[in-house]
Amino acid sequence: MPTQPPLPPLLAPYVSSLPPSSLIVLSTVLGAQGNWLTLRYLYAALNASLTSDAALSFGEGHNRKKQKVVLVSFLRGWEFWRAEAKRLGLDLARLTDKRQFAFVDGLSELFAGPRTTPTPSTPQTTTQTTPPSLAPSPRGGPVPQRTILPNRSAPSPIPARGPAVAAPAPFAPVAPSAPPAAPASREVGPVKRLHLSGKGPAALDRLEKDIAAVVGHLNGRAAASAEGEDDSEVLLVLDQPDLLLAATGPGKEIGATEMTEWVMGLQQYVHATVMTLAADLPLIHNASAAGHQMPTPLETEHAAFAIGSAHRAHLVMQLRDLDTGAARDVSGVLRVSKGGAWGQSDNTDANGNWEEKEALYFVQRDGGVNVFGRGE
Amino acid sequence: MSFRKRNIGLSTGGDRTASVNASAGLQQATSTAAAAAAPETTPGVRPSPDDGRPTTSTGTPSLDNILAGHGGLPIGKTLLVEENGTTDFAGALLRYYAAEGVVQDHRVHVVGMPEQWGRSLPGLIGPADAVDDKQDKRKGERMKIAWRYERLGEFGAGIAGSRATSGDQSQPTADGSPDKRPAFCHAFDLTKRLTHPSITNLNYIPLTPSKEPLFTTIHKRLDAAIASSPPNTVHRIVIPSLLNPTIYPFESSQPDSVLPFLHSLRALLNTPGVRATAMITIPLSLFPRASGLVRWMELISDGVIELCPFPHSADALATSGAATSHEEPPQGMLKTHRLPVLHERGGGSDQNVGQDWAFTLSRRRFEIKPFSLPPAEGDKEGQDGAVSGNMPKKADLEF
Repeated sequence: MPTQPPLPPLLAPYVSSLPPSSLIVLSTVLGAQGNWLTLRYLYAALNASLTSDAALSFGEGHNRKKQKVVLVSFLRGWEFWRAEAKRLGLDLARLTDKRQFAFVDGLSELFAGPRTTPTPSTPQTTTQTTPPSLAPSPRGGPVPQRTILPNRSAPSPIPARGPAVAAPAPFAPVAPSAPPAAPASREVGPVKRLHLSGKGPAALDRLEKDIAAVVGHLNGRAAASAEGEDDSEVLLVLDQPDLLLAATGPGKEIGATEMTEWVMGLQQYVHATVMTLAADLPLIHNASAAGHQMPTPLETEHAAFAIGSAHRAHLVMQLRDLDTGAARDVSGVLRVSKGGAWGQSDNTDANGNWEEKEALYFVQRDGGVNVFGRGE
Repeated sequence: MSFRKRNIGLSTGGDRTASVNASAGLQQATSTAAAAAAPETTPGVRPSPDDGRPTTSTGTPSLDNILAGHGGLPIGKTLLVEENGTTDFAGALLRYYAAEGVVQDHRVHVVGMPEQWGRSLPGLIGPADAVDDKQDKRKGERMKIAWRYERLGEFGAGIAGSRATSGDQSQPTADGSPDKRPAFCHAFDLTKRLTHPSITNLNYIPLTPSKEPLFTTIHKRLDAAIASSPPNTVHRIVIPSLLNPTIYPFESSQPDSVLPFLHSLRALLNTPGVRATAMITIPLSLFPRASGLVRWMELISDGVIELCPFPHSADALATSGAATSHEEPPQGMLKTHRLPVLHERGGGSDQNVGQDWAFTLSRRRFEIKPFSLPPAEGDKEGQDGAVSGNMPKKADLEF
């Protein structure tokens, strides 16, 4: 099997040049996770050389805008995305620095709140809170140095650059709800951490505000950089927001309706939205009447949210296990189908590139992906 | 400089070369992280042969081997072990995991179990490969050329424990005295009790009712225990029989109670600077896989394996399932639904994916091996006939 480019040709039309205000739903299952596909969306948007290529090959070379990405991840941390993107040749830390990419961390403090750790007695926490330039000062042997090494690539912009020090200042007025000083000082780079507090739509509103602040931050920088506004479009990637729904449930007054409204609210701020959802059998089919036992609220709400999102989406990319069982040279099946909002967008030339299809994919050890038709 | 791993080139231009050679860039990134997080001297932690990330042993060599080529459980990952029926094979796996932690001087946190549980950990026999006869045989046949690959684990089976073998190669003392290099995985005897100086270091987190939600308390205590320990400590979080109603109160099995806990646990393990792994077991008979709750627990975990013990009525099948009379019959099937790291990346390219696994628990080990179907039951008389000498003589077969 020949190696395919980072963006396999079969996949390219679906991940690049998304129509405005579109919603793409990636549905995944336990054995077929969609992180590689999410990364392909990041790659298509952020890799500068590729965007010009794609524009040429699809004959829509007219004023292709610079794309920026906000990645909101609820199940995976910054370290995972940074390492995996690096395998694709994307340096997320550098892109963050260039205000083309922003990571919103929905894992670290979503439920637990900030770690209760800062006991200054341990050298580990002190080195983490101090800027890297000061890190060598607590000489505790090689140990503290080792603990800060993994962070090295991300926080380096903070002390290194002049303007970045001033970054929290314009950031704070946009997000009044966020405690401005605390995250900025102990963050790994300008990573925003979400924290769910309170109940119901109000809690979601706070999350929305935080994410919107990050989006506004990216946009605001672009506008200030002299080209004038509207020179960039932001792609919002929501990685498994359904966790919010599953982990809160009716007890916290968050249901499918609230989640749908939340996602719609977020869509307003950005050019296009990509959302990954779990679509495992129990989460979708238990809710239907055919089931022989009472569905739990978790199952009904999840099914309602997932199916509702698919109806609102322009495109649904389904990943699933191979029907015939696991294989060594096939990771899973990718099915591209039209969502409920197919063809509703004004920009039809992108839709012209899209057709429903089913293909197999294989994720190699080195991170490369082959997408191919059956029998190829 | 001294913190740099030996197998990394001098160039620090990972960022620049990354677009050209993405995999090399990653290799550098992960291995610098590995070198940072796991100095080679930490007992019980070694870099994965696959991508160099630090891994630690589950205490069961054959379980280490099926974890997607990493030869162990990567640091920062959770393993969810599900078990059908009323047996406690998963509990045995947990005990090995905890005992391995005790022997390696890792900090072991046990959630929801009395101290009795810690006293019943299986007794130490020795390094895992010392117990294995086959390993001994292999030692004699070792190819000298491949010495530098050998420490990375053997192709196919036997990834775990190879580090220890290479250790005594590097110290070829004639009298065969135990080498200085610590073993990665140990063998334990379920019928004995573990006596080890650090067994008193087990941290028990009881489930005491309080004003806070139960799981919030557990998480806070775990967090505090990990934060207050020295920075290089390796932690093991053991959560036996999660949600079991004899241990956990009824309301803890609500999704809005247990899922945030697992999510926070995942966040805790992913915190930079924290070196911990977790192993959780859950009784599937009470919480079937077909329910949305369990599916979400699986989605939040990094690795999911399911144990399906054979019912007793299948003993006949199990006996005939052994290929030879010397092998012990399998006691159940093991399914890997999700493997750490591999599935997170997209899955599929592991040589072990799609295998049918059977497991055997004996006094001394929990062994996982490929399952092979026994010969058809109806063919008994044919087999008997073959044994009793009705086979054609050699002369009859010659032309």
